[in-house]
Amino acid sequence: MDDKEQYARLFNDIDSEALITLGVILVISVLLIIASQRGLNWLANRLHGPMRFRVFALVPLTRLLVLITTLAIAVPIVIEPSLRNMITLLGAIGLAIGFALKDYVSSLIAGVVSAVELPYRPGDWIEIEGTYGEVKHVGMRTVEIQTPDDDLVAVPHLKLWDSAIHNANNGGSSLQCVASFYLHPEHEAEKVRKILRDVALTSAYLKFDRPVIVVAEEKPWGTHYRIRAYPVDPRQQFLFVTDLTVRGKQVLSDSGVKPALLLPDTAFYARNAVTE
Amino acid sequence: MAKCSTKDATSLWEVIELTQFCTPEQTQASQWRRSWRAVTRWIAGREPAERKAKQESELRQLPELKLAHLVPEVDWSPVAMAFSQVLYQQGLEEHPVVFFITPPHGGHGSVVRHWAQQQGVSCLTMPTYQEISDGNLEWIACCEAQPVWALPTLERCFLRHTQGLQGVRELLERVLSGRMGRGVIGCDSWTYAYLQQVVGLDSAPVFTLQAMEGEQLAHYFASIVRTRQDAPVVYSTRTGNQVLVRSRHSKLAYKELQQLAAHCRGHLGIAWHYWRERLREPAESDGSKHFQGRSQELSQEPPQELWLLDALAEAELPAETGDVATLLLHTLLIHGGLEEQALGDVLPFSRHEVLNARLSLARQGLLCCHQGCWQVSPLSYASVRQLLASRNYLVDAL
Repeated sequence: MDDKEQYARLFNDIDSEALITLGVILVISVLLIIASQRGLNWLANRLHGPMRFRVFALVPLTRLLVLITTLAIAVPIVIEPSLRNMITLLGAIGLAIGFALKDYVSSLIAGVVSAVELPYRPGDWIEIEGTYGEVKHVGMRTVEIQTPDDDLVAVPHLKLWDSAIHNANNGGSSLQCVASFYLHPEHEAEKVRKILRDVALTSAYLKFDRPVIVVAEEKPWGTHYRIRAYPVDPRQQFLFVTDLTVRGKQVLSDSGVKPALLLPDTAFYARNAVTE
Repeated sequence: MAKCSTKDATSLWEVIELTQFCTPEQTQASQWRRSWRAVTRWIAGREPAERKAKQESELRQLPELKLAHLVPEVDWSPVAMAFSQVLYQQGLEEHPVVFFITPPHGGHGSVVRHWAQQQGVSCLTMPTYQEISDGNLEWIACCEAQPVWALPTLERCFLRHTQGLQGVRELLERVLSGRMGRGVIGCDSWTYAYLQQVVGLDSAPVFTLQAMEGEQLAHYFASIVRTRQDAPVVYSTRTGNQVLVRSRHSKLAYKELQQLAAHCRGHLGIAWHYWRERLREPAESDGSKHFQGRSQELSQEPPQELWLLDALAEAELPAETGDVATLLLHTLLIHGGLEEQALGDVLPFSRHEVLNARLSLARQGLLCCHQGCWQVSPLSYASVRQLLASRNYLVDAL
């Protein structure tokens, strides 16, 4: 008899009016989420530069706000929000999660954390466990990444807890690109450095408010040069690297600089084999 | 037309250091207005119809002859004089090199040529396209013979590829070190911004023309009419008010031209194109007769009535302007205009792609061809600059 009374006190009387109110709240929140997600994504995809990333960052945040507001309005309709009731309810939910839906709920909670901490936002270029691509959508449970090969990969937010997340542009429009050149050891290094710097400075994609750096590293098979520079828009990264590579090869070839003949790994192992 | 301003013609031209340049009042507001128009066009598909004092259908374009009288080419010689004065005042006459820069259509080439003429200095021979693209440096050796020289258009001395930079880099190295005597270099502001990043030009003094406010534009447009008898009364089709002031106290009358000044960032060269393109006369009047008669007869006629169309209606960039078009526009600005052949050499696209993009932009009125060079048209310059700035491309300081 006491138990019945306790349950009766835990839940409010759900009459038809309360059901209609809950239904209306649910429908409105779903519509708001859909409208805000689609609207903000639509807007951000038509913007460029920093504004694009600011609007993209609003997508998961808006959804989180709508969800919290919905819960804040709906829960008191169903439950009398006293301390005792909340402890009972949360305890029951905790048990269910602990046994049956651990990973699913963990992803949902990580999704909430990702909306606050912003380790990735739509428009960011990230790498999680070897998958690199542009974040297309940050959902409740997963983050969708579009790879350069046009695959859409859904990664659960769960990875946030124990995996390294590499974010190449971190919500901004600066993304460093690297173009590599493997050259034969016999060449004039200073001349090559100037040539490669000019290659970067004459690229149509170059972003000028970031540095252009040419790094040279001596290897057993020759010299490994890297141009480190930034494209105007992160989405141009592959075109930018291709432009640097194609023109760099051409100019180096015109200047009589020969490429390293063996693949780096082959050369390394070949040399090791000889010394052994 | 009565003289309505205390400013004389030479005071319009204020030559200043680049760091002192400031855009006219309401420039930011003008950019917001342009963005708002783009958004409304984007949402509604077309611009909302505005109530106008005069309908465009009641007006017609002016004949070329009449335009030539009312809006003659800008005479840049007073700027050259003002420039000489500034060089004298700042004791820079013996400095190895001084830059004079203006935005596209801003007349830096003409100013430096006028300066050279006034000072009795000869202009350096420009390199050919082949010399630039081969990285040939012989043309620089020929330049060294002159102790004092002028180079009106530096943008014609380079191409944005590794070979195309060799000549201008060598030239500027010699010039800045004083090995080439002393001289004045005219340069497009976009080229200057690019070369500043690529070569480094911070050690040389740079001058430009201060931005004009609406009042100065009004004074200029009123003063350029060839003969006083031809002085028209110009009304705005938007408001029906007079655009060119007749009273020194009627500040409100500058509003229309202040908007134009803000839209053009105070650059006279661009405002001049707007003025020339937007002037109309009533369709029923026979304007050509007016100019066929003698000036004595003209003086007896009442001042002619002209109308200025909405000055800010311009060739607009589509909302979805793609990368190829954007890079093409940026490249043209960096080079101060380019020939068809050169476009393929400096863009990372096939000639076919470049041709398609160029044709499409020209069809939209965003590009125009001047003496074989394709350049961003003056009426779309403001929109193009705003687009490039919003997309993080390198833009000029003006």
